Amino acid sequence: MGTIDYLFQGFATAFQWQNLLFAFFGVLIGTAVGVLPGIGPMSGIALLMPITASITGGLPAEQAATSSIILLAGVYYGAMYGGSTTSILLNTPGESSSVVTTLDGHQMAKKGRAGVALAICAIGSFAAGIVALLGLVLLATPLASVALKFGPAEYTALMLLGLLAVSSLGGKSMTKALMMTVLGLLLATIGIDAVSGVARFTYDIPTLYSGLEFLTIAVGLFAVGEVFKTILEREQNDGEIAKITRILPSKQELKDSSMPIARGSILGFFVGVLPGAGATLASFFSYIMEKKVSKDPKKFGTGAIEGVAAPESANNAAAGGAMVPLLTLGIPGSGSTAILMSAFIMFNITPGPLLFEEHPSVAWGLIASMFVGNAILLILNLPMVKVFAKVVETPTKYLIPLIVAFSFFGVYAVQLSVFDLILLIICGVAGYFLSKNDFPIAPLVLGIVLGPMIENNLRRALTLSDGSVSIFFEKPIALTFIIAGLLWISIPLLLKLRGKKLIVSEEA
Amino acid sequence: MSKAFDRYTGILFLAVGAIFMVESFKLSQNAYGSAVGPNVFPMALGMVLILLSFRLVFETFRYSDTGKNKIKLDYKRFAIILAAAILYALLLETLGYVITTFLFLLVGFQTMQRGRIWVSLLVAGGFSTSVYYLFVILLKGTLPPFPEWISL
Repeated sequence: MGTIDYLFQGFATAFQWQNLLFAFFGVLIGTAVGVLPGIGPMSGIALLMPITASITGGLPAEQAATSSIILLAGVYYGAMYGGSTTSILLNTPGESSSVVTTLDGHQMAKKGRAGVALAICAIGSFAAGIVALLGLVLLATPLASVALKFGPAEYTALMLLGLLAVSSLGGKSMTKALMMTVLGLLLATIGIDAVSGVARFTYDIPTLYSGLEFLTIAVGLFAVGEVFKTILEREQNDGEIAKITRILPSKQELKDSSMPIARGSILGFFVGVLPGAGATLASFFSYIMEKKVSKDPKKFGTGAIEGVAAPESANNAAAGGAMVPLLTLGIPGSGSTAILMSAFIMFNITPGPLLFEEHPSVAWGLIASMFVGNAILLILNLPMVKVFAKVVETPTKYLIPLIVAFSFFGVYAVQLSVFDLILLIICGVAGYFLSKNDFPIAPLVLGIVLGPMIENNLRRALTLSDGSVSIFFEKPIALTFIIAGLLWISIPLLLKLRGKKLIVSEEA
Repeated sequence: MSKAFDRYTGILFLAVGAIFMVESFKLSQNAYGSAVGPNVFPMALGMVLILLSFRLVFETFRYSDTGKNKIKLDYKRFAIILAAAILYALLLETLGYVITTFLFLLVGFQTMQRGRIWVSLLVAGGFSTSVYYLFVILLKGTLPPFPEWISL
C-alpha cells in the first residue's frame, strides 16, 4: 500500500465520530488553555493525559491510543493558536511562541482591528497546518525507512544531537541548560535498570522501583511552577482588553497576508523539524524575514498585518514540523513533544520508524486528524473569537487554586499515591525557582524522557563493539550526528564570543 | 538573575552529581550479556554534572549581579497556599477526595482574594463533588472515598 492509501485510511480513522469529537474537544480545550494565563501547552497536555486515559478506557487498546493522542495533539495546536489571542487583545503573550505577535498584533487591536488580527491568526494557523500536514506526509515514509536502518550507535548519536540542540537553544545560559539536561538524564536512572534488572538509587523505597513518574514531574515543573509564579509575583491581566468589532478581513487584507502566511508556514515547518528550535524561534525568524522581504519595512511595529500573519503561521507550522522527528524517529525535539511522546508510551505504543509498520492506524490517523483539527480550529475560532476574548477575563482568584486542584486530581488519578503528590509540590517549588533564575525546564523534561532510551542504546552499541567507544566514530551516520551536535553547541558559543546577540527559545 | 542563587544551586547540583557518582560505585559493575554495567551511565553523568556545576560556580564570579527589577514577592500568600497544598496531599487518603479538595479550594480562593465567601463555597463545592462523581461514578476511576465515619 502506498502513502496515499494509508493517508485515506487515516482520514477514515479521523472521521470516526468519536475521533471527531476528541479532535473537537482537544482543540477547544487547547484554545482555552492557550488563552488562560498560568497554563501553557505543555501543562495542558500533561494535565489532560490521565483524563483521556480514563475516558478511552473502554475502547480497544489501539483505538484508545489513537483517540487520546488525537485529543492531546489537538490541545497542542489549539494552545498554539490560543496563545496569540492574549498577545493581540492584552499585549501579554500567552506562550513564548506568540511574543512576536504582540509587536504588530496589539498595535492592530489599538487601531480597532483586533477582530481582523485574530481572524488572520486563525486563517494563518489553518494554512500552516495544511503545509505541515503535506510536509509530514512527504517526509514520514522516507524518513522512517531510513531510520529503520539505524543501529544502536546511530540512535545514541541522534539522541545526543537532540539533547545538545535543545540545551544549546534552551535558555540564556548554556551551562545551566546542559546542567538541567544532565540532571534529567540522572533522574531517569532511578528505578530498576531495564538491561540488567538491578535496582538503582531506590534505597528500598517501593515507589521508587518503577522510577520517578514523568507525568508527575512534568505537571509539577510546568503547571504547578507557573501557578506558584502567579501567586508570588501577583501577576494579573490588568491591561485593557481591546474591543472586537469587525472580524472578517477585507480582500486587501487577505491579499496582503497571503504571501507572509505561505512563507511563514514553510519556514516554520522546517524550523520545527530541527530538534531544539521549535515554535518560538520559528516565529522570530519569520518576522525578521518578512521585515527583510517587505517593500516598506517601516510599517512593522505599527500594526502591519504581515507582522501577525507570518509569525502566527510559522509557530503553528513548527508545531506540526516537530511531529516529524517524534513520529518517524521516535525522538522528541521539544518539551511539548516529549510530553506527547510520554502519552504514546503510556498506551504502550513506541513512536519511531516501526510506528508506521506496527500501528499504521495510529500514525496515519493522527496525521489525518491534524488536518481535521485545523479545520475545526478555523470553523470554531472565527465565530468564537469573542467568547475566547471573554475567557481571558477569568479571575485568577479562582483559576489558580483550581489549576492546583486539577493537577492533584490528574496525578492522583493515574498514580494513586500520596508520594507522587508530594513530589508534585516539590517539583512545583523547584520549577518556579529554577525557571525564575534562567534554568530552563524543557531540557530537564527531555532528559527524563530520553534518558532510558539513550542509555539502552548506548549500552547495546558498546556491547556490539566490546566496550570500545570507537563504534561512534567508525559509523559514518553516527559520526555525522555527533559532529552536528557538537557544532550545534559550539556555534552559538562562538557567536557569543564575537558579541552577537542570540535569540533563545524559552519554550523549546 | 541572582548571583547568590546561581552559586548555591551550582553547589547543590555539584552535591547531586557527587551523590550519584558515589552511590553508583555501590551498584553491580557488570551485567550478563552486556559489556557495560548498570553503574557506568549514572557515574559518567554524575561526573559531567560535577564539571558543569564547577563551571557555573566559576561563571558567577565573572558576571555582575543584575538584580535591578526586583519585584516584591508575596511570600505570605505563597506560604499559605503551599502549606494548604501539603496538607491536601497528606490528608487526601484519610479524609477523602471531596472533603480535602473542597477545603483546599476554599482556603485557596480566600487566600488569593478575601471576600465573596458564598461564591467561593459554591465553586469549591461544585468542583469537588462534580469531579468526584464524574470520575468515580461515570468513568469508574478511583479516588479516595468519604471517610468511614461519615455514612452517606
